[in-house]
Amino acid sequence: MRRFLDRYWYAYAMVLPVVVVIAVLVLYPLAQGVFFTFTNINEGNIANPILDRPATYDVVGFKNYLNVLSGGESYGAFWSTLVRTLIWTFSCVFLHYTVGLGLALLLNRQVRGRALYRVLLILPWAVPAFISAFAWKYMFNAQYGIINQLLRSVGLPDPVWLGQSDWALVSVIIVNVWLGVPFMMVALLGGLQSIPGDLYEAAEMDGATPWQRFRHVTLPGLRSVSSTVVLLGIIWTFNMFPVIYLIAGPNPNARILVTYAFERFFSGASRDYAIASTYGVLILSVLLVFAAIYRRALRKQGEVW
Amino acid sequence: MAEVSYVKASRIFSGNPPVRAVDELSLEVSDGEFLVLVGPSGSGKSTALRMLAGLEDIDEGAIHIGGKDVTNVPPKGRDIAMVFQSYALYPHMTVAENMGFALKLRGVPKTEIKAKVEEAAKMLDLQKYLERKPKALSGGQRQRVAMGRAIVREPSVFLMDEPLSNLDAKLRVETRANIAALQQRLGTTTIYVTHDQVEAMTMGHRVAVLKDGLLQQCDTPRALYDRPANAFVAGFIGSPAMNLKTVPISAEGAKLDGIIVPLTRSALDAAGGLDEVTFGIRPEALGIVPSGEEGMDMTVELVEELGADALVHGAVKIGDASQRFVVRVDGRTPPTLGQHVKVAVRDTTEIHLFHPESGERLEA
Repeated sequence: MRRFLDRYWYAYAMVLPVVVVIAVLVLYPLAQGVFFTFTNINEGNIANPILDRPATYDVVGFKNYLNVLSGGESYGAFWSTLVRTLIWTFSCVFLHYTVGLGLALLLNRQVRGRALYRVLLILPWAVPAFISAFAWKYMFNAQYGIINQLLRSVGLPDPVWLGQSDWALVSVIIVNVWLGVPFMMVALLGGLQSIPGDLYEAAEMDGATPWQRFRHVTLPGLRSVSSTVVLLGIIWTFNMFPVIYLIAGPNPNARILVTYAFERFFSGASRDYAIASTYGVLILSVLLVFAAIYRRALRKQGEVW
Repeated sequence: MAEVSYVKASRIFSGNPPVRAVDELSLEVSDGEFLVLVGPSGSGKSTALRMLAGLEDIDEGAIHIGGKDVTNVPPKGRDIAMVFQSYALYPHMTVAENMGFALKLRGVPKTEIKAKVEEAAKMLDLQKYLERKPKALSGGQRQRVAMGRAIVREPSVFLMDEPLSNLDAKLRVETRANIAALQQRLGTTTIYVTHDQVEAMTMGHRVAVLKDGLLQQCDTPRALYDRPANAFVAGFIGSPAMNLKTVPISAEGAKLDGIIVPLTRSALDAAGGLDEVTFGIRPEALGIVPSGEEGMDMTVELVEELGADALVHGAVKIGDASQRFVVRVDGRTPPTLGQHVKVAVRDTTEIHLFHPESGERLEA
């Protein structure tokens, strides 16, 4: 042990600042959040130094979990919100990936003005999310929005996009796809460019049709990039708060787990920190379970992770 | 089994001015022949091969395989297999899958694919590695897998694009012999591209020398060595390169430093009217003679000892300029650096004369 420290103290000294920062910024809040889930803490009983009021919340055991997991409407209808979150996540990531891959394939060929297209397609990424969210919100306006004007002009029905219906979920998915495609496109374009050209030539010599070349050369060549960006995409989308909140607001038809946690924390008669934390811990556990399964699946396919 | 012919085939890359990467190439390769395309970088040899493969367009002229015009046929329909310089093995497939991929695409039944792959693996000593992925193989094994992938398909023509250039020197010599033997055994028409003239000479039944997209000469290795059609081929074929110097000539012969090398009647006739020619002589046709005898004065600048013999590089004055010559001498008694030696032509029948401007061979 002594020799170990003598030899490696320098390395430990070097990582110590990072460990301290992470402990203060991540581990402590996380531990505190987990603790809150076992209490009935809210705005009324939290310690308030301004009012010179001590904390009066109590430990209530698993009551919060029981309330949330029973799926009651007054606790955010956990199960139906989870289902909506999954629909939101998978439709977003699926569209991100397919549209991104399609655009990357188009941009990977020699086309005139390729640099210009690339800049234009990356643009949604460069615009701050809240600006594009507001722009979309106006476009979705049922009466004056450009989308409905277009639909009316060609004689199609014009839904109330952001009203109390599932159209609200469709709207936020459309916006999130628009926002998320550039990242997928850039990542997949990088992946496409790392596939050696002579593999395509070899496949052509082997008699592969364009579709077979895509299936047997392009897709396997993209596998490691794809598995990474799909995992990241799922985690990001699962927790994508700003797009939904800025566009749909606290609309229960577009509610996902994180937006409900936020609502519970910042609005309502009494800000219910305990339920918000419970949601936070449940989101974290869902993602942890998912990541573990995903990793195992990849490992089975021989991917090094 | 098929013969291949290029009929004035050209490949023109757009640009300003357009580049004629392969310029009106006409070449006949007979059934079962091993033809080597050789040339320096940028000579168009790989482009010529890729045109045959269908990976490059044929902008002018035509290409026939087995008597059939395939100019506008995609690679799939040409019944050819290619071995790439990088091997281009599919990284996510095992060796067996790599080798059987073309058959799988063609819809050949699994058991038949398995049998064919195993047969080829046996031929190439790859049975132990069939279940491995390419990245778990050594360079030489990957090269063999690439060969195997071509063999399994039983195509009518093999195309090989510098398949040995990623191997180390020893393995290259070994594999060179194996490929030649394999081709002999299978009897499949093979077109082989290399920049290495030793590979070209040792493997090919015939060798086609290209330069700047133009075919310089196509003949057997022996004929290329003995009667190069122009100064470029003379300098390219043979190692070390032939000494090629511009020297004045007269009725007696070519005038080198202090000696006059007599020339044959026909050579002199062909050079009629010229007062200078490009004079070519191989290092092995020169020799060092005792100082009393007639010869060129050479100052030794470098001695490369190869074991059996040694290459002596030195300067000889021709006219006013000092020219470099290489002489092959016996390895046991090489001269030392800075020494002055007499160099004479050992065999006057091994002299090659070329036109000083066009580089064409003089004499019939």
